[in-house]
Amino acid sequence: MGFWLELAASGLITGGIYAVVAIGLNLQYGLMRIMNISHGEFLMLGAYLTWLAHTTLQTNPIVFLPVVALALFVLGLVVYRLCFQRIARTAPAVEVIEARSLLVGFGLMFFVQNAVYLAWGADLRGYSFMAEPVDILGARFMANRLLVFGVAVAASLGLLALLRWTMIGKAVRAMMQSPTGAQLVGVDTGILHPVVFGAGLALAGVAGSLLSMVYEISPSMGEPYTITALIVITLGGLGSAIGSLLGGFLLGLVEAFGMHFTNPSLKMVLSYGVLVAVLLARPRGLFAR
Amino acid sequence: MKRSTAIKEIAVALTAAAMLAPAAAAFAQDVRIGYAIARTGPWAAGSQVTQEPNYIMWAEQINAAGGLNVGGKKRKIELIGLDDRSNMETVVRSYEKLMTSDKVDLILPPWGTGANFAIMPLAQKHGYPMLSCTATGRKLVAMKNPYFFALLQQPDIMMDALAEYMVARKVKTATVIHVDELFGLEQFTALEASMKAKGIRILEKKSYPLGIKDLSPVLKDMQAKKPDAFIGLTYPPGTFLSTGQSKAIGFNPKIFYLAVGTAFPVYRDKMTPATVEGVMGLGTWNPKSGAAAQAYFDAHVKRWKKEPDRWASAHCWAGLQILQAAVEKVGLDRKKIRDYIANTTHDTVIGEMRFKGSENVSTPGVVSQWQSGEFEVVWPPQRATSVALFPKPNWK
Repeated sequence: MGFWLELAASGLITGGIYAVVAIGLNLQYGLMRIMNISHGEFLMLGAYLTWLAHTTLQTNPIVFLPVVALALFVLGLVVYRLCFQRIARTAPAVEVIEARSLLVGFGLMFFVQNAVYLAWGADLRGYSFMAEPVDILGARFMANRLLVFGVAVAASLGLLALLRWTMIGKAVRAMMQSPTGAQLVGVDTGILHPVVFGAGLALAGVAGSLLSMVYEISPSMGEPYTITALIVITLGGLGSAIGSLLGGFLLGLVEAFGMHFTNPSLKMVLSYGVLVAVLLARPRGLFAR
Repeated sequence: MKRSTAIKEIAVALTAAAMLAPAAAAFAQDVRIGYAIARTGPWAAGSQVTQEPNYIMWAEQINAAGGLNVGGKKRKIELIGLDDRSNMETVVRSYEKLMTSDKVDLILPPWGTGANFAIMPLAQKHGYPMLSCTATGRKLVAMKNPYFFALLQQPDIMMDALAEYMVARKVKTATVIHVDELFGLEQFTALEASMKAKGIRILEKKSYPLGIKDLSPVLKDMQAKKPDAFIGLTYPPGTFLSTGQSKAIGFNPKIFYLAVGTAFPVYRDKMTPATVEGVMGLGTWNPKSGAAAQAYFDAHVKRWKKEPDRWASAHCWAGLQILQAAVEKVGLDRKKIRDYIANTTHDTVIGEMRFKGSENVSTPGVVSQWQSGEFEVVWPPQRATSVALFPKPNWK
């Protein structure tokens, strides 16, 4: 593989990591306007569960992915019932949901982070999994990064298909456009709302699980990921599954080429530069309708 | 009537207070040692490996032996530890409170160069000696703060040692990355000077920000330049990332050196001992460095069920040993403690230690290398616990 292709491939793979981090929040904020600022904390929780299972029970992290997803989904239902249900029901407008859920999200952030500190301490943790180089057309990549990339693409396309071509997807979109209208045509928003929230948390957990294979983990790892996720979904367009995938890719590519031509230290300038440029050209994101 | 009730109540309260006073006085007999350290937030990953476990273990060991010997009289240690939440403002406020309103007898330092730097003026103003084990930088030493003592080797000392090792192995070229923080900049400045003096060419240097998720484009560029050595003046995330990605692309120069985090046991555990075989980094010691080091290592593993890191942990323990000896010798007069620290050659877990101004001038620059799961000291020869693997074996 030529040098440029290799550079592009490594940019895309990093972009896949950004995309996978953003999918869960895209469901919660993009579709439901629940500004779950504790998204990164639940991602971190997924990472810790996977680490714990792998180091104590020698569970294969890939096999454990569905367990993490299910655990976080159930946790999501509970969190929704305890924290967000009232907000969603009583808020007179979506802007109010955003503002109020932001505050609740901050609280959850501290709560989850400190619970993990109490349970497992502040030490860096990690394990080695699929940390073997894979040869693709002469270029070498780490197997675990390729896995993250694959899951990011699959999950984004799956979500896209689900939202676009299934009844549930239509119901979700209807619920967001007009909650009352959706109820009138028989959409049970009382069930659908918590389920979508739970799915968002499940995806955050899966993302965390995948990241724990690539990077070292610590209880404070979540916050930067929340910011990454916010940039990616804003870039791609709120609620657009394909948008956040391509938004992630775009960021990854810009960073990879930027790093080659300039300096990694300019990473933030480059990422925010892209965000600003996209927002100037398309204020609602690349794929907003 | 009401007035007399009030007077009675006051009288009762005063009597109660008088009765409680002796108990409070007995309590004050404890030596109160205060500190603020990160238990939460991004600094906690470092502070909870290198620093606070040592503080707690030290106090427990002393109390189990009857207490701290204060000029011949044993007194228990009461540790007053606060969480600074990895927040500079909280660090400063916490130490100000400990020094002024809590009036603790002694302090232990916070984690990291920045936090130590921030409280140095307070330590001087209120006269509290600081034996800082995770602060390094000529700028700190140059402030000539009489109460500040830096236990770690200064950047130029560490980088000189690396350059000397490279010269000994006839290494001619290197590529360098450094983290965009005060630490990375200082280390790089020191490295550049050492390399220049020793005639080693830096083929390329790049800096990177702390939160980076991919360094492979940079590593590939450097691989293409075929340097003899790769030197990463990194913090832990960059240390892990460059190891994994260099392995992925097969970037395997004769010397592969990374900075902070290489000495952490979790680095070996996360990357696997086979992968890190031959990786070099900042270190000072390991259990083989001597009987005292082995005893410290064993006690740490027994108490915490985890190993101490092979660099600053032992410096931290050395600081506690120095403080203990000082109190034993001169009591709790902090000015006298300061003078004792400044003018004595100390016997510590990492060997003899003497200060010139704020600088530890006894501990030499050291290069360590992972070999079969242990971070062996490989340079300078008189400190070495093993012979260096050179060139670095292939990634496994």
